[in-house]
Amino acid sequence: MGHRKYELYSMDWDLKEELRDCLVAAAPYGGPIALLRNPWRKEKAASVRPVLEIYSASGMPLASLLWKSGPVVSLGWSAEEELLCVQEDGVVLVYGLHGDFRRHFSMGNEVLQNRVLDARIFHTEFGSGVAILTGAHRFTLSANVGDLKLRRMPEVPGLQSAPSCWTTLCQDRVAHILLAVGPDLYLLDHAACSSVTPPGLAPGVSSFLQMAVSFTYRHLALFTDTGYIWMGTASLKEKLCEFNCNIRAPPKQMVWCSRPRSKERAVVVAWERRLMVVGDAPESIQFVLDEDSYLVPELDGVRIFSRSTHEFLHEVPVASEEIFKIASMAPGALLLEAQKEYEKESQKADEYLREIQELGQLTQAVQQCIEAAGHEHRPDMQKSLLRAASFGKCFLDRFPPDSFVRMCQDLRVLNAVRDYHIGIPLTYSQYKQLTIQVLLDRLVLRRLYPLAIQICEYLRLPEVQGVSRILAHWACYKVQQKDVSDEDVARAINQKLGDTPGVSYSDIAARAYGCGRTELAIKLLEYEPRSGEQVPLLLKMKRSKLALSKAIESGDTDLVFTVLLHLKNELNRGDFFMTLRNQPMALSLYRQFCKYQELETLKDLYNQDDNHQELGSFHIRASYAAEERIEGRVAALQTAADAFYKAKNEFAAKATEDQMRLLRLQRRLEDELGGRFLDLSLHDTVTTLILGGHNKRAEQLARDFRIPDKRLWWLKLTALADLEDWEELEKFSKSKKSPIGYLPFVEICMKQHNKYEAKKYTSRVGPEQKVKALLLVGDVAQAADVAIEHRNEAELSLVLSHCTGATDGATADKIQRARAQAQKK
Amino acid sequence: MAFPHRPDAPELPDFSMLKRLARDQLIYLLEQQHEVDKLYKVESKPAVSSSEQLCFLVRPRIKNMRYIANLVNADKLAGRTRKYKVIFSPQKFYACEMVLEEEGIYGDVSCDEWAFSLLPLDVDLLSMELPEFFRDYFLEGDQRWINTVAQALHLLSTLYGPFPNCYGIGRCAKMSYELWRKLEDEEDGETKGRRPEIGHIFLLDRDMDFVTALCSQVVYEGLVDDTFRIKCGSVDFGPEVTSSDKSLKVLLNAEDKVFNEIRNEHFSNVFGFLSQKARNLQAQYDRRRGMDIKQMKNFVSQELKGLKQEHRLLSLHIGACESIMKKKTKQDFQELIKTEHALLEGFNIRESTSYIEEHIDRQVSPIESLRLMCLLSITENGLIPKDYRSLKTQYLQSYGPEHLLTFSNLRRAGLLTEQAPGDTLTAVESKVSKLVTDKAAGKITDAFSSLAKRSNFRAISKKLNLIPRVDGEYDLKVPRDMAYVFSGAYVPLSCRIIEQVLERRSWQGLDEVVRLLNCSELAFTDMTKEDKASSESLRLILVVFLGGCTFSEISALRFLGREKGYRFIFLTTAVTNSARLMEAMSEVKA
Repeated sequence: MGHRKYELYSMDWDLKEELRDCLVAAAPYGGPIALLRNPWRKEKAASVRPVLEIYSASGMPLASLLWKSGPVVSLGWSAEEELLCVQEDGVVLVYGLHGDFRRHFSMGNEVLQNRVLDARIFHTEFGSGVAILTGAHRFTLSANVGDLKLRRMPEVPGLQSAPSCWTTLCQDRVAHILLAVGPDLYLLDHAACSSVTPPGLAPGVSSFLQMAVSFTYRHLALFTDTGYIWMGTASLKEKLCEFNCNIRAPPKQMVWCSRPRSKERAVVVAWERRLMVVGDAPESIQFVLDEDSYLVPELDGVRIFSRSTHEFLHEVPVASEEIFKIASMAPGALLLEAQKEYEKESQKADEYLREIQELGQLTQAVQQCIEAAGHEHRPDMQKSLLRAASFGKCFLDRFPPDSFVRMCQDLRVLNAVRDYHIGIPLTYSQYKQLTIQVLLDRLVLRRLYPLAIQICEYLRLPEVQGVSRILAHWACYKVQQKDVSDEDVARAINQKLGDTPGVSYSDIAARAYGCGRTELAIKLLEYEPRSGEQVPLLLKMKRSKLALSKAIESGDTDLVFTVLLHLKNELNRGDFFMTLRNQPMALSLYRQFCKYQELETLKDLYNQDDNHQELGSFHIRASYAAEERIEGRVAALQTAADAFYKAKNEFAAKATEDQMRLLRLQRRLEDELGGRFLDLSLHDTVTTLILGGHNKRAEQLARDFRIPDKRLWWLKLTALADLEDWEELEKFSKSKKSPIGYLPFVEICMKQHNKYEAKKYTSRVGPEQKVKALLLVGDVAQAADVAIEHRNEAELSLVLSHCTGATDGATADKIQRARAQAQKK
Repeated sequence: MAFPHRPDAPELPDFSMLKRLARDQLIYLLEQQHEVDKLYKVESKPAVSSSEQLCFLVRPRIKNMRYIANLVNADKLAGRTRKYKVIFSPQKFYACEMVLEEEGIYGDVSCDEWAFSLLPLDVDLLSMELPEFFRDYFLEGDQRWINTVAQALHLLSTLYGPFPNCYGIGRCAKMSYELWRKLEDEEDGETKGRRPEIGHIFLLDRDMDFVTALCSQVVYEGLVDDTFRIKCGSVDFGPEVTSSDKSLKVLLNAEDKVFNEIRNEHFSNVFGFLSQKARNLQAQYDRRRGMDIKQMKNFVSQELKGLKQEHRLLSLHIGACESIMKKKTKQDFQELIKTEHALLEGFNIRESTSYIEEHIDRQVSPIESLRLMCLLSITENGLIPKDYRSLKTQYLQSYGPEHLLTFSNLRRAGLLTEQAPGDTLTAVESKVSKLVTDKAAGKITDAFSSLAKRSNFRAISKKLNLIPRVDGEYDLKVPRDMAYVFSGAYVPLSCRIIEQVLERRSWQGLDEVVRLLNCSELAFTDMTKEDKASSESLRLILVVFLGGCTFSEISALRFLGREKGYRFIFLTTAVTNSARLMEAMSEVKA
């Protein structure tokens, strides 16, 4: 079994306490370490307040604060690197990396009553969870503290004392609890408690002393009182291996140590002075611990830190093993040798190279060296492997360069963050799992803005994801510096950010407002180029009028409307209307809304503007849309007419008054004559009267409403023709000289297909329309004569166009002749 | 007939992508999410459906929200529970959500958006299908759709590359353009570095030229629209056209080979063309005689289907022509056209006025009467006070008193106004136009806006030479300018402006015209320095009509394109015509 251990940092954190006297929590992925001297464990009453200290993985102090709250049972880090402190009363206090208090929440009444006996912080794909064992030996858990839903787990039957050990498991996206009571194991899910037995467990176990779940929740290890270790799947369906270490003392810690996709299974067990790596090999690897140490499980190994050192223990990766194994003949190993010889200017270089090439393994050799470089912690080792890879590459025709380039970049980033001052000892595998985005987030969280920006620029990340995002975070941090004046902060931020794409000034302003710096927020908003983005925050800050003008500037009517409704609720009516008055665009928008939803408001709006014209229109509309009773309609019209007079629109006023008269009259007609008159136009009213034979009434109406003669003639003519009352029509035509001439008589008769009647009027048609009239009644020949007589070219061609084929042949000839004659003259 | 394009005319971009995009999104919304099985039209009557869930696809209008609210509340009263889903197209408005909330059903419905704003009606015609744009913006001053326009332009530029040359005139054009630019700036990188496919874009407000839109159309496609109303690129031909007892829905676009050849033709040529075509068709059929079996087999399998298809289309269009002729002669179309031309040229005003009066007195058609009044007003810079009063009085007597509101609308939109007496106006006008640019003076702007909207048509017409001087008959078969779309009497103003600007590549030298259009601050040119545009793309021009364009304008620009070797692409908020404009302004009793 190949495991190796190397030093990450020598710690100079100058601890006052022994680790064993402290509550310790270290975040995975090279995260920070929190220490809280635990005075509550001792019998002595806590006279001195303990200190909560937070360090980077390299032991650089990040925060230190006096603990003023209640007794703490357990500490743990969330996936976002927030420190969760579980108090005895079930309250969980959340702190930031820099010791800044964020929030708190309670794990429920039941926990409060029975106190917390033990607690675990665990990570799932949803986030970070908290599991609690209460004094009543019941479990309560929340799978995601970001979206707190408390779940009380079912009771374990007959459980009288605390379990000897327990852990959280995560299967099928659900969190379970596995606990050991004496020789029995129980699995709690939120529905039931079931007893479970690990397959192939050695006999004679009377109690389990420790259990460990792997980083990915896939594997489980159990340590029994017989010094026997069972290793299997977390589902407890399969045993992978077992080991007997013959130490019966309960270990201090036990954690899995395996790398993803490796077939090797190994567990690291720590006692006070001894560290043991066990797996399916018959032999274990043992280390002596000089000091009190603490194990931190990682994705691909285990970190071990003590007062003086911080080390990493992991399974040797395949590539590294192949290369560094003693007397290895692996292609990578040979290539490394070749390169070393080449530097010594020895011909052996050629021999090695030839050997690899003969086997056709040069590509593989280069790949091996690149891969192994990634797993090396020391830069000099990385360099020599990369140099070997680069050397080997020279002898390959088509080796795609990106894997080499990317590894160089990645290592540069990794070396930078592993630096003592930064203290994030990520391995290559962890880095890949974490992703560069999250790493950048973590640098931002540690306020390491310049380094984060350098990395973005070095990796040429797109600005929006990279530099701008970091600058925005920086700005959000900057606005929290209360000792700097608003002007200075705003200027500093603008200087640095300029108009970097992707930076949202409104987000920064929102942060400033969140810190109670409204003035600063407004100043920052001024830099926001998208006026639409400024609006929501301005509204929140109760700067509604400013918000309104910004919304209008944005050209987004929807936004304007949002602000309007805000304003409407915020201001009294008068002020609201005044505000609208100065913003025509908003005003017309609001009018639109009122037209459908709040008619009364619309009226008020016009009233306050003294907009009598629109008020008049408003009442006109009401007279036929809103009112049903005739009195109501007339009253609405009266109001409209008054408004029109005020608007100096006499025409409209008079027209409205006429309409009032007409309405009343129509009402009377309906009462007296029956039939439908209401809402007809004046013209149609008269027509209806004539059609009904009420000629007297019709004439009276025409006089009352001063219907012009021309209209009356058209009207009567049409109505009588419709009635086919030819006699009356003829009488009418002779009543006096027609103001519309007699061509219309011909036309209308023809429309009723009465040629006989039509012909009666042709003689009376004036000379300039005579041809037209004759053509209408189909008398082409006579039309031709008249046209010839008139010597009118246009008329001649008109008649000609009416000449059809055979029947009018003679007429056509006649016209042609006349034309020819006219031309001669 | 059917003039071919110049051989070097550029290819049009493929707009079917837009259709696919929209369709896929809608299918996703409907099928994947809501499993729609039946579609109903949202009308004022309640939908009868026993489905467990109802899904509404609506324009974001308050009226529609109330309809939905009534339906949901009725269900509630009846103790029914169903799921409701509202899909807004092209976008959701906050005001709509407010109404849902006020009606107490916000919690009962869930909302979605279908960002569909561009419907390719034809190879060169994109419509936003927003007929309400015209009234909303030009009458109510509601700017809600400007954002939609900007989004649509943004979509076009992401799909077809940036537009190196931009021109525009009008307040709405300017606002849309600025908003669009802002969108591009926010999301930069996407279009940068792409080669432009379309070299020019021209944005134009409808109120720059009401005259053209108010004229009777005499090119075939326009005439079909005026007579039968083309909706979404298709038309319902009634029994009088199909010469059967059924109506037929016909798609009108470049796919229809017969239509494609006559759509841009003056109506007087169409009949002749169709009969020629019919004869040719007959000749092709006749070839059957004297074929041997093999040839006949070939004929049946390959040509017959095409011929039959052509035959069908031909008979439809002949039917349409007949129907149009019948309708037009009944109303004395010639007389009407003569009056229109007189108005355009500005002679015999008195005679035209009495023609209009008679038109009203005879109750020919409320919409037509209104159109003529507006045409008179705009061409004459407003009616003289006496006519203004008497025509309105006549109109109210003929068509009903509610039109008092219609007149108020028309006045506000500047379509039907009263001449202001004397020269004092110019002083007021210059003051007002100064105020118009000042945002704070909104209220005054409102009050004076009708004053500022003097049309100056006569002066513009002179300046731009809109009335061609013709010696002898204008040959409509071989048109020589865009005036052919109005029988040679008038070059559409909108198209002339576009022609002039494209020629100059700017507004330079058109200052006087711009001033007369009351747009001194609102005409813009924007050219990018870097010249990556190919010469081919530089001959593709996207014309954006805000408030709608007519088929006559489209035909005129297609003609211009053929003459100059350009291709025009049209983007309009909706295809419009005089009747639609007038209806948008009319108040009707509900």
